[in-house]
Amino acid sequence: MAPRLPSFRSLLTSRAARRVALWGLVMVASVSPSLAQVNISGKAGLLYVPTATILSDGTFHAGYSYNPVNYAFRFNPDANPLVKTRNSESIFFVNLVVLPRLELNVNLLRPNGPIQYGARGIGDRQIDVKYGLLTERADRPSVALIASIPLGIDNSLVTNAIVATKHVKISSAIELELTAGYASPYYVDRADMRNDQNSTLFSGFVLRDKRDMKSYYLAGPIGGVKASFSRKGGVMAEWDSQHLNLGGYATLVKHWTVQAGVVNFDQLTFGTSYAFSLLSTKHSTGHDKAK
Amino acid sequence: MIKRSKRWGYLVLLLVTSRLVLGQSTTDQRVGSLENLTIDSAKHRVFYEQRLYRNPMTAMLELSEMPVARTGSALVPLFQGVPIAQYQLTPVFRTTPLTRTDRMDYAAAVPFNGRAYKFDFRLHPEFMANFGNRERTVESKTNILLQSQFYLRRGLVLNWGILFPIVNDLDNQAMNVRPAPIFLNQFLALNQADFMSISAGLFYNDRYGLNVQYRHADLNSSWSYGLETSLTGYYFFPKNDFYYQSLSDLMILGDVAYRIGRHNVTLKVSGGQYLFNDRGGRVDFIRQFPNVEVGFYATKTGNGSTAGFNFAIPIPPGRIVQSNRVRLRTTEEFRWEYNYSRGYNIANRYKVGYQLDALLRQYHNSYLKSQLGR
Repeated sequence: MAPRLPSFRSLLTSRAARRVALWGLVMVASVSPSLAQVNISGKAGLLYVPTATILSDGTFHAGYSYNPVNYAFRFNPDANPLVKTRNSESIFFVNLVVLPRLELNVNLLRPNGPIQYGARGIGDRQIDVKYGLLTERADRPSVALIASIPLGIDNSLVTNAIVATKHVKISSAIELELTAGYASPYYVDRADMRNDQNSTLFSGFVLRDKRDMKSYYLAGPIGGVKASFSRKGGVMAEWDSQHLNLGGYATLVKHWTVQAGVVNFDQLTFGTSYAFSLLSTKHSTGHDKAK
Repeated sequence: MIKRSKRWGYLVLLLVTSRLVLGQSTTDQRVGSLENLTIDSAKHRVFYEQRLYRNPMTAMLELSEMPVARTGSALVPLFQGVPIAQYQLTPVFRTTPLTRTDRMDYAAAVPFNGRAYKFDFRLHPEFMANFGNRERTVESKTNILLQSQFYLRRGLVLNWGILFPIVNDLDNQAMNVRPAPIFLNQFLALNQADFMSISAGLFYNDRYGLNVQYRHADLNSSWSYGLETSLTGYYFFPKNDFYYQSLSDLMILGDVAYRIGRHNVTLKVSGGQYLFNDRGGRVDFIRQFPNVEVGFYATKTGNGSTAGFNFAIPIPPGRIVQSNRVRLRTTEEFRWEYNYSRGYNIANRYKVGYQLDALLRQYHNSYLKSQLGR
């Protein structure tokens, strides 16, 4: 490496080269973490379980995931007694690293197929925050705190959890990602409010326990493992506090991830997401290209 | 007599030098994306305006690689013909505010010339929506606006356009092709750090009237504050007709904004009287990324409280066709806000062409400097 350095340095002296190098840095910085595969609500994770992987600043994800009917989070009488039908669900999400270590996730859960009139609407909108308490180092895992902002009325993908994640390189191509954590069964929501009378957003808070329902998302110990091959794809297994789920993912054309899995050896879930960095000037500036 | 002839000589000399300094025809004032380009070779300064990019740094970098800008030249971006501030890209990025004298010198040296600008047409989408109706989940009013600007004098621009409706299941507006918002806007830079924007005419969101914004924003300081007041009324264009109500809605808002850290985050607290006599306050968290702005907010007023997010993005592909005189492009900024619970007229406001705080934070020293990564 040493003999190469002077020529590299001289390259850097030209402004254009410096810009290219800067871009390169941004790209390199964003390649590994921004391509993280995401869980059902769009957070870096496995299938249902979020991981503590800390994405680089400015990373933006948008995507979709499908949740099978037997494990419906909301459109399921076991999870919500007011609902009479049982439907599979579509989850749309965006996730943005708004500050280093701080992520905001907005997701929308909608039923697939017909439902009763009273349950119709835009769907279940939820906003979650993730904060990276510790970044990963050789001798320690990354640790992240995830919390759902209690503005929702009966949110169904509530994630109040602390997770730790460690990456271990097995060979030059294979990397293991180990995650363990605990999801609190308790959460706050605004159960007393009705959507059509929802004109004061900061009132009606109630403490609830997810385990009061027969079916719920993440309450108790969670964890999983993912084996990635050259960061182009991988396989995973997770314990989502109630079921064992298995799956795999693949990253296509750099920014696009597809994934699929089997929930509880029973039904299929799948999802896809697209990621890029808002800090790199390459995307979202169609304006730059038209010279 | 002698005195007078001396003065004449001085004037001739001034004319000659100014010709030399400006030394170019109007066509040279429109180069690529740049308009109203003037090179002050004596002071190594380049004055220019650009309307194509949301991010001012894009044009700065483009310009710094052109032969007109010699190394070490200072760049002075204009907005509606008014200089914002002076920027030095090398050796370290630096922002120098322009004094009142600097501004008067520029105005004297470069008289206003509307022909220094292109006929610029932009396509601007408009999307207003209500979500959550049980029969129809998304009720929207979606339009495409073909907009342009006439530069009338320094700082004064007539914004006009044509609106093409795409969808409307939100209100009773007919699907007629109609005028897009038409209004005059005067942008003023009073001195180093005080700016004003005065608008009159037919605005967005069916409001017409007068809007005055004032902002104190030292582009090197973390703090800034502003005032906005307006008197507006309701209007709309039925088929082949114009309908309006009286000019009676008073809005008075004040805000204080503070930039924290090195990640281009602005915290803004604002409050006052919004439309329809709704009084209250609002807190904004705004993060400026190079081309995109993303924000979150919460608001509480007499009508209720809500929270949500907003963003401002350029719409690709940018330039579509361009000659030296005419240009068609997509908008440099599409702004949109989502509120979690709609309620009934909570902290409602309308849109004018630009908001002073949003415009000026794009020219803040730390925002532009951070993009150079040095």
